[in-house]
Amino acid sequence: MRYETVTDVIGNTPLVRIDAAVHGLRNIDLYAKMELFNPFGSVKDRAAWNMVRDRLPGAAERGETVVELSSGNTAKALAVIAGMHGLPFRSVTNRMKVPEIKDLLLLLGAQIDELPGRSECLDPADTDDPLTRMYRTVSAAGGGYLHTDQYFNPRNVEAHARGTGPEIIADLDGRAPDYFIACVGTAGSSSGVARVLRGHDPAVTVVGLVAEKSDFIPGIRDIDEVHEVGLFDPEVYDTIEAISSAEAIDGLLTLVRRCGTLAGPTGGGAYQGAVRYLRGVDAELTERRTAVFIVCDRVESYMSYLRERRPELFAQAARPQSVRSLTTDDLAAARTIGVGDAQEWIDKEVPLVVDLRSPFAYRALHIDGSINIVDDLFGEMLHGGLPFGRRQPVLLVCPVGEKSAQYAALLTRMGHPDVRSLQGGVIAWRDAGAELVRD
Amino acid sequence: MAPYLQPRVEDDLRSLLDEHALLHQLVDGLGSPLNLVLPDRLVRNVAAFRAVHRKHHLGGGVWFAHKANRSHALVRALAATDAGIDVASLGELQHALAAGFAPERIMATGPKSPEFLWLAARTGAVVNADSTVELADLAGIVAAHGLPPVRVLARLSGFASTGTNVLTRTSRFGIAAGDLTGLWETLEKHAGQLDFLGVAYHLDTVGLPEKAIALEGCLHAMDEAHQRGLRPRAVDVGGGFGVNYLADARQWEAWTSELTGAVLGRRPPITWNEHGYGLRNEGGTVRGALSVYPAHRSVAGPDYLDRLLSTPSAVHRRPLGTLLLDSLYDLHTEPGRALLDQCGATALRVEEVRGDLVRLAGNGGDVALEQHGVLMDPILVPRTRTEQAVDPSGFFLLGNLCLEADLLTRRKVFLPQPPRPGDLLVFVNTAGYLMDFSAGDALMQPTARTVAVSRGGGGWRWRLDEQYWPVTGREGTA
Ligand SMILES: Cc1ncc(COP(=O)(O)O)c(C=O)c1O
Ligand SMILES: Cc1ncc(COP(=O)(O)O)c(C=O)c1O
Repeated sequence: MRYETVTDVIGNTPLVRIDAAVHGLRNIDLYAKMELFNPFGSVKDRAAWNMVRDRLPGAAERGETVVELSSGNTAKALAVIAGMHGLPFRSVTNRMKVPEIKDLLLLLGAQIDELPGRSECLDPADTDDPLTRMYRTVSAAGGGYLHTDQYFNPRNVEAHARGTGPEIIADLDGRAPDYFIACVGTAGSSSGVARVLRGHDPAVTVVGLVAEKSDFIPGIRDIDEVHEVGLFDPEVYDTIEAISSAEAIDGLLTLVRRCGTLAGPTGGGAYQGAVRYLRGVDAELTERRTAVFIVCDRVESYMSYLRERRPELFAQAARPQSVRSLTTDDLAAARTIGVGDAQEWIDKEVPLVVDLRSPFAYRALHIDGSINIVDDLFGEMLHGGLPFGRRQPVLLVCPVGEKSAQYAALLTRMGHPDVRSLQGGVIAWRDAGAELVRD
Repeated sequence: MAPYLQPRVEDDLRSLLDEHALLHQLVDGLGSPLNLVLPDRLVRNVAAFRAVHRKHHLGGGVWFAHKANRSHALVRALAATDAGIDVASLGELQHALAAGFAPERIMATGPKSPEFLWLAARTGAVVNADSTVELADLAGIVAAHGLPPVRVLARLSGFASTGTNVLTRTSRFGIAAGDLTGLWETLEKHAGQLDFLGVAYHLDTVGLPEKAIALEGCLHAMDEAHQRGLRPRAVDVGGGFGVNYLADARQWEAWTSELTGAVLGRRPPITWNEHGYGLRNEGGTVRGALSVYPAHRSVAGPDYLDRLLSTPSAVHRRPLGTLLLDSLYDLHTEPGRALLDQCGATALRVEEVRGDLVRLAGNGGDVALEQHGVLMDPILVPRTRTEQAVDPSGFFLLGNLCLEADLLTRRKVFLPQPPRPGDLLVFVNTAGYLMDFSAGDALMQPTARTVAVSRGGGGWRWRLDEQYWPVTGREGTA
């Protein structure tokens, strides 16, 4: 298929059946609306494009900056679109919680502003929170900002009322599904789709999913936060249910491993929430029903999120030559040397002195003649074997003599005959009045 | 479930609150409101901060931010430990000296009068300076009076972040970290008067990322100083480690949800006059931000310091604590609130109960929950123990001032059984800022007396605050 511009590729995403052998529902056909196929990777491409498209002409001449309160997919889509149209993009957020998305935004040239945390010594007279203040600045007319305002902008809902919703009906041969399940972030996708489906068939059941409170699923809100969303109208949903990040990840794993669908956490959450809700309905059914849920984005951006919550998924075999593998016997076998003896030893035998502290600290002050290999890097080098000959005596130094003792133990275990650790470290060296130099 | 916010009460404080007869005797004899302080717990809290230093192999000191409480007993108990004290006024400095702090263990912070600077310089306290002008003034005092050099820290603010742009509230304190040339020149010019210990910050935020950026900024400032030939050796990370006030995170979550519901009119109000604590209803959408202290905190106090030191530097990709250690720097902290965790409580007598209104002998200045945005329930200590069925109902707690706004908390407070005149309501964990920071004598109402309580002889010993010294007089027989 040929397109003149990548924004024309937005929308018209496929609707794909989930194998009944996976979801286990007997009377329900479950379909995934594959929003992850949008060109910038998520359901938010539609909203982002619809919110800015009419405001782009002349924006560059007016020197406008596109700005949005977003730490995720909306920011990503807007950053791409802004870049295509020669506009700067600025993302304002409470916290950049997903490092991959932060890096991607920086790669795309976005400016990211993180708002300050709450005051430790509260001033109750200051009801003007930083977010409200920021909102006022970027919303002022003629202020040089093209503020897309996704939580309040009706064009966010419209993008789905014009696109996502009608596409689902068309792909179901002109019928609305009986159940529609979606995660709620700005409520744009769920409200837009629900409006169209209900218009077609008022009997459609709409299930909104939010994160459990104090849990975190990137891209969606919890049950309190959702009330801060201007587009959120509780009447849209027949029911609002909470899902945990654990459920979202379980769902993600099912989609990723069994359904060929590389969904992110909210896609997984929507799947898991859909199956959880539909299982109750399924038992009572006597005729076939159809259900649709949204897969909002892709899994690749959430590796740190997944690693933090399910480290076992990334289990790697422990590497043999590491300080973590040291036994108490290994540690006991390590040789240490006091400051006075070490000075003598340096003068007589000229051991290689390796300073394991950060380059930053080494630059400020170090033992004359020492070389600097920061401990992490030294650890990496040892995975490959001894980095110096066995005839070369070595003195390891670190701040207090703890890490150097561990590495001395490791080198000894690896067969080095004369490696010693400076007892008490550079601190003892300094406190003994021994010489430290800087370059 | 009633929207409880039950306070976190630990060990000594917990058992003290079970001593109903003692508490009633004390309030009968000394009046309501009455502050109780527990000096022994303060000593244990210092040890917990010390343990974090040890874990990271860092030297340096824990300097108690005196401003958080004026009690003599607490300061004297602290003088008996290895902790330092951060004093923010001439009065606090005199108090610390009188309590037994040697000047080496005193640090002067905050806005300083010439008298405050002179006494700090004369005695040999550390001066944590807010500006280069203050450093120059101090040097002038030292030179004019022929005093020995004074150890100084330079407080910095306005640190730049890398990658993302982490915004911070503008601070009225500190030297702009972006251009330190003026600072180096001042220190070089007055090298005979000022012994430059290092740099400092104190940020009024619960946000760890902001503090990590400030600490990293300090490390860079130290490096710059070394390149100029100065020899600083310590970084002071200020206070603000926080306290967890509540026993149960779920109650906090439930309460904040209920408040959102109440602001939207979806449930009956749970606050006086439908106060929203910063939230408001605009056409069915909640606007504003919850403007209260985060009463439940999973990471606070020493754990928060540990977390900060374990945070990797954005530039060097190495934990900040390790970078401090690598550079052989000492770490100083100035915890106020966090050191006073579980160190006190304030008891108020119930005067009158009228429907859901409970009037107390004390006011919002005596227990400054509203001023500091701390939300938690008091504990009911009935005059006579009765085994009543637990039937929680909600009350508003009114103070003794003839002001419409004088409530101890604007929350509707749920108690396991209705209070009666003569009962006590005890707010726990008030030692940090909630006790005497804002107390006044409006209407000539009495201000609270303070009693120091400690375990001894199989029971509890109490002394008037001014009578407390960390000595028993029986040491000779021990
Ligand atoms: C990953 C992800 N899932 C789900 C959503 C929710 O979509 P909506 O904002 O349309 O409610 C978002 C949007 O912010 C998102 O980024
Ligand atoms: C300079 C300084 N240090 C320390 C503190 C103590 O802060 P906290 O009680 O939050 O630990 C304060 C509080 O205002 C302060 O201003």
